Amino acid sequence: MKRIIAQMRKELTQIFRDRLTVALALVLPLILLVMYGNAISFSVTNVAIFIEDLDQSPRSREYIAAIAASRTFRIVSLPGGLGKDEALAAEVVRAVITIPPHFESDLMRGRNAEVQWLIDATDANTANNLRGSATAITQSFCRQNGLNPTAIRPAVSAEMRLWFNPGRETYKYIGPGTIAVVLALFPPLLAALAMAREHEHKTILQVYVSNISAREFLLGKTLAFFVLALAEFVLVVSSGMLLFGLRFVGDPSPFLIGALIYLFCCVAFGVMAGTAIDNQAATIQAVSMVCFLLSFLLSGFIFPLSNVPSIIRWVAYVVPAQYFIEITRDAFVRGGGWSAVLPGIFALTGLGIFFLFTAWRKMRRMQVNV
Amino acid sequence: MKNLIHKIRGLRVFVLFLKEMRQSRRDRKFIAALILPPTVQLILFGFALNPNVTDLRLGVVDDSRSVLSRELIAAFEASGSFRVKTYFASPTVLGQELSAGKLDAGIIFPPDFARQRERGETAKVQFVLDAVNSNTAGIASGYAQRIINSFNQQFFKSEAGVKLDGATTPLSARVALLYNPGLRNSWFILTGVLGILLILNGTLVAAGAMVKEKEVGTVEQLLMTPAAAWEIITAKIVPLCLLLSLDIWLALGVGWLVFDVPLHGSLLLLYCAGVLCVLAGVGLGTFLATFSRSLQQAQLLSFFVNPPLAMISGATTPIEAMPMWMQAFTWINPVRHFSTVARGILLKGAGIEILFPNLLVLMVFAFILVFFSARQFRKQLG
Repeated sequence: MKRIIAQMRKELTQIFRDRLTVALALVLPLILLVMYGNAISFSVTNVAIFIEDLDQSPRSREYIAAIAASRTFRIVSLPGGLGKDEALAAEVVRAVITIPPHFESDLMRGRNAEVQWLIDATDANTANNLRGSATAITQSFCRQNGLNPTAIRPAVSAEMRLWFNPGRETYKYIGPGTIAVVLALFPPLLAALAMAREHEHKTILQVYVSNISAREFLLGKTLAFFVLALAEFVLVVSSGMLLFGLRFVGDPSPFLIGALIYLFCCVAFGVMAGTAIDNQAATIQAVSMVCFLLSFLLSGFIFPLSNVPSIIRWVAYVVPAQYFIEITRDAFVRGGGWSAVLPGIFALTGLGIFFLFTAWRKMRRMQVNV
Repeated sequence: MKNLIHKIRGLRVFVLFLKEMRQSRRDRKFIAALILPPTVQLILFGFALNPNVTDLRLGVVDDSRSVLSRELIAAFEASGSFRVKTYFASPTVLGQELSAGKLDAGIIFPPDFARQRERGETAKVQFVLDAVNSNTAGIASGYAQRIINSFNQQFFKSEAGVKLDGATTPLSARVALLYNPGLRNSWFILTGVLGILLILNGTLVAAGAMVKEKEVGTVEQLLMTPAAAWEIITAKIVPLCLLLSLDIWLALGVGWLVFDVPLHGSLLLLYCAGVLCVLAGVGLGTFLATFSRSLQQAQLLSFFVNPPLAMISGATTPIEAMPMWMQAFTWINPVRHFSTVARGILLKGAGIEILFPNLLVLMVFAFILVFFSARQFRKQLG
């Protein structure tokens, strides 16, 4: 035990002497937090559109006013010489709306009128959302102008309730996930680097000849980076709560316990990676690939995991962030409590122990590989 | 002509260029770094960032147990967006499952659901949706509304015999989805990630190559040759760019084979834009190298540069959803301009006459970055 503590203290001293490491551990996570929290959103506003009004009537102007009133769209005029198609291709506008001639007279006579919406669907998700807005705006225009001729009472109507996030705020979705993703990168990266450095600088030989055992050595390292991760956690969670306006919904204890296990799991992965790869540059590549890319892509951070083809989805089961993201969402948005997060906590514990055990298996003989 | 070739081959730059080419060709790790990570990343990004709203898990509480409720459930199932997962005895249990994240949506039929209809009133049903994922929830609630609307139309057609031909409302919005009618998000992601890859790979590989000379100490040897500093740097940068630009073909191949990304414009133009992007990356990498003593230090430094380049670009997320200050930043990001060019050429069939502003900006970026970093590096050499 004493040797574990000593190893940990030595490690912490070493960390705080390296300014780049400290910046990586404490400053970069905050930068990423702000960036992810703001850059990852799909609720578009002020989308530039061009309206071609071929009718120029009071009714067509009312329709335009209805579009202008929505926060989604911003009506622009095309710069000189630019046609509709070119404007769409050059991304000057995202949509072009054409109001046909005789728009007003058609509506007055009860004939069908069609407004054409050309939407740039390069960004499929945004296009899908814009299509929804187009339909909604048109429908509410009809309602306001009494254009529903046969006021049939519908057979069925649904009372729509959006649970947990009634305002559909992106912060509530991306915010908690960002905390998990940011924490997934730096603690394991630094832990892996510290391990790989011992190999690269051959200081590992000193460890081999000392009386410390592989178990104590690994636990000491893990503990040191766990302390660092804890500091990062406090920093990231408090600024995340401030930045995204997140509050605990219900009992925070599952979140706190889950976080401790998650941090342990991440650091253990780093220690394992550093034990397996003895070159610092390669370690950075490996850890950033696994921790950064996979936590970002295969964790359900941005889009639901169920959309990923099953061949790739199985990889997600060993990505710790997947479990912790669900725990954070539960803590800050859903409030399902212990019963909802318990499976995730078990999975994280299992993964952490597996990572550390693998590192120990690799190191336990404390022999130089020849 | 022969004379000219002879002259070029005699140039010191060319000799150095050959040396660099041979050196990188022998470096297996370098070749692997050129091929493996981009392929894996393209495939992962293309498959993982999929916003489709299909097969949402629907829980049902049917206290009505009527033909009408069963018909509506069938309509939800038939849409493909929802899939009934479980029937529950009470709304409370359904609520608990929803809180635990085991359901995405729930539909609750009151006991008098069918009777309301028989009395000629509108039958009311409650539809609850887990809105934690704001984007999915928005799309899903739209789908649910559409399912109910078309259910109503069908219902009237069959029951009341009311003639409803296609147009139930006199005014409708006819939406045409241009360039990507199948709404495949992978096309959007691939064309964005391509730029990210070119710059990121350029940064890392160039930083690696530059730092390596410093680390191994061969800089001294190069300095002792009669070659001038600019010759050394040019001979280093050009082969890097040529090799890295091969990733453009790789990415296009993956996009075409795996995701059916179309090509509507000029391949040559795309390649040129790609080379500019790589140049910007190489410039950035060289710049990082001047600050670093070792490869891992350059790599760690790149964590301060690369994530912002990738995220604040509109490459994977819509720019219009970012706060204003961030939208302003995208203009000085080469990735943004490259995404516009790649999407223009691949998906929209746009030519140079439309894309020249973006190409121009890319060019300016590439030259400023390369020039500035090369000068910095040369200073260090001296």
